[in-house]
Amino acid sequence: MRARPFIAIMGNPWVSGATALALTGLVAAASLWLGGFDPLAAFASLVRGSLGSPGAFLSITLVRAVPLILTGLAVGVAFRAGVWNIGAEGQLYAGAVAAVWAGLHFGTLPAALLVPLVLCASALGGVIWILVPAFLRIRMGVGEVITTILMNFLGIHLAAWMVRGPLQEPRGIFPQTESIPLSAQLPVLFPGTRLHLGFPLAMGLAVLAWGFYRWTVAGFRASAVGASEEVARVAGAMDVNRVLTGTFLASGALAGLAGGVEVAGVTFALYEGLSPGWGYTAIAVALLAGLHPLGIVGAGVLFGALEGGAGAMQRNAGIPSAWVSAVEAMVILSLLAVGVASRSRTAGPPTTANESGGIVAGTGGSDEDPGHA
Amino acid sequence: MDRRVTVSAALATTLLCGACGGGADTDEPAFRAALLTSGPVSDAGWYAGAYEGLLMMRDSLGAGVSHQQTRTPAEFDEAFLAYAADGYDLVFAHGFEYQDAALRAGRQFPEMTIVVSGGGRVTENVVPLVFTLEEGSYLAGMMAGGMTVSGTVGMVGGVAIPPVQGTFRAFEAGVFAVNPDARVLEAYIGNWDDVSAAKEAASAQLRQGADVLIHNTDAASFGVFQAVRERVAEGEVAWAIGMNRDQNGIAPEVTLGSAVIDIPRAFLATARSWQAGELGGVPIYVGSSRSVIDFVPNPAVLDAIPAGLLEEVDSARVRIRRGELEVPRVHFVEGETEEG
Repeated sequence: MRARPFIAIMGNPWVSGATALALTGLVAAASLWLGGFDPLAAFASLVRGSLGSPGAFLSITLVRAVPLILTGLAVGVAFRAGVWNIGAEGQLYAGAVAAVWAGLHFGTLPAALLVPLVLCASALGGVIWILVPAFLRIRMGVGEVITTILMNFLGIHLAAWMVRGPLQEPRGIFPQTESIPLSAQLPVLFPGTRLHLGFPLAMGLAVLAWGFYRWTVAGFRASAVGASEEVARVAGAMDVNRVLTGTFLASGALAGLAGGVEVAGVTFALYEGLSPGWGYTAIAVALLAGLHPLGIVGAGVLFGALEGGAGAMQRNAGIPSAWVSAVEAMVILSLLAVGVASRSRTAGPPTTANESGGIVAGTGGSDEDPGHA
Repeated sequence: MDRRVTVSAALATTLLCGACGGGADTDEPAFRAALLTSGPVSDAGWYAGAYEGLLMMRDSLGAGVSHQQTRTPAEFDEAFLAYAADGYDLVFAHGFEYQDAALRAGRQFPEMTIVVSGGGRVTENVVPLVFTLEEGSYLAGMMAGGMTVSGTVGMVGGVAIPPVQGTFRAFEAGVFAVNPDARVLEAYIGNWDDVSAAKEAASAQLRQGADVLIHNTDAASFGVFQAVRERVAEGEVAWAIGMNRDQNGIAPEVTLGSAVIDIPRAFLATARSWQAGELGGVPIYVGSSRSVIDFVPNPAVLDAIPAGLLEEVDSARVRIRRGELEVPRVHFVEGETEEG
């Protein structure tokens, strides 16, 4: 009984998050200091550059959060149903390729048609990219961890080939595509900022996913399959393969959409190296949020702030990018450790399902609503 | 021009300015200059030279300076926006990949001048800075053609973009100028930083009989030098040639010389012409006539190079500077085909 209050406090995502941040802050400050940099100036620019002004928050933090939220949802939706989709990165690239293709190919259409078309194309691209792993898993029992990872390489190389081949800019000189026309670009929400339609879209999808798990039978089935596929099969009350198929497709579509939104809202053209690994960071985002769709929005914004602030650390405090990446990694690591540990403690003895966020998802994650912007 | 672009400039500046009050410096710098690179400034080459140039602007021109290494295209616009909001006057975007974002930022922030190294498009405040490194590569090719025993030389490139292909065409021409029967191998690793991929490509060329290798990559170049080193350690004869910066010190015992761009000098000259109000509207070409491009033989191995070959290279250098010897080039700046 003694330990109860402590556990209860640590189980609070805010407390665990704050503890993690404080601990990491100390370690990071010490390492920066050892490296000869001023830790205070570094953290000041990190905070100023991500949250310090409405401009920084809207144009940097939230813009960076969008691909993380969408891929985070892709991973979250998959993991909840026990589908280990590690392939969000490749699906994102496939979505980006499809979006750019649609944007250039149908460039004469008015924005009201073209923007939805571009977004649908990207979701479809992501779906196509997950079809093979889905088929292999559902029909032949091949583990999707390996197949989705392999599809990542194909997706990355697909983009690399596209920017040198079929989709290369018309002069055929630089390895990139032409910019998509204005009518294919996502509108900016507030003039003077870079925040585009992708953010409310990601928020909307998160709310939709939350409602799906909370209110619908299908959502319950997905969570049940995720808790134990065997039990779900034996119980016989549901078509497990159908649940798995739906999960694969939804996950691929969300990750593909992340690529489309990034291209249509931020870069406007396809480049190699479009993603710094969002599809992988998404796993951290989803796990930190306990696979809770609304928590994923919060975690995505947190990671967006961290990455945006990291850029400011380089610009304003002169910290080399290698240090910045190391500090970033430390923060992520400790957030995950404290976040996941506190959840499994409140949820009982750690089991595989608990540690990976499995079905106890709803108990954790931050309920913060950054959508007030 | 699109409506949201015009209003953005003013608003972004006001909005972001909370984020920029960092400068607690007592004396205001003469101007503010920033550098954007897509790779680490520890590459001892392309990016290191740019960073050195930035520091020289600080030290000799009194500029307030800042550097950011961007990881993805999504960060390009953000970096330009942040620098514009912080009141930076001159941004050196050190790579062709920045050009689209630079054009957008140039439209949005007319007060800021952006110099795009190897860029292909010109506006009033977005200016390509084109290094005619071909002139140095040609001389490097002469050196390679004269030093090869097997008659085969190799080139390992990063990404097959015109500035890189241009240096390789010139290198070939230099090789053939002294050794018309030579064979020239060419490989691209698809990026700039992958040391092991570059080493793999270099080793493959060495196995095919090449005994002089030149590269045009960034941090990946260490792999080329390493491959040559290992070849020499096996008792074979092999040489490496550096590129972009004086790399003669990386593997001094196996390096013939380097085709160098004096990037700091070029940056400094560019900053001076910006200060004089002369920058904008036309691309900047810098080559050996302005002492920015050269081939620097490695003093540590001079004994191994026949004196006649060195003389030949020296006389070619003089003829290039005088405009008597035209080196092959790949033109890539839009609307420009001749030197501006």
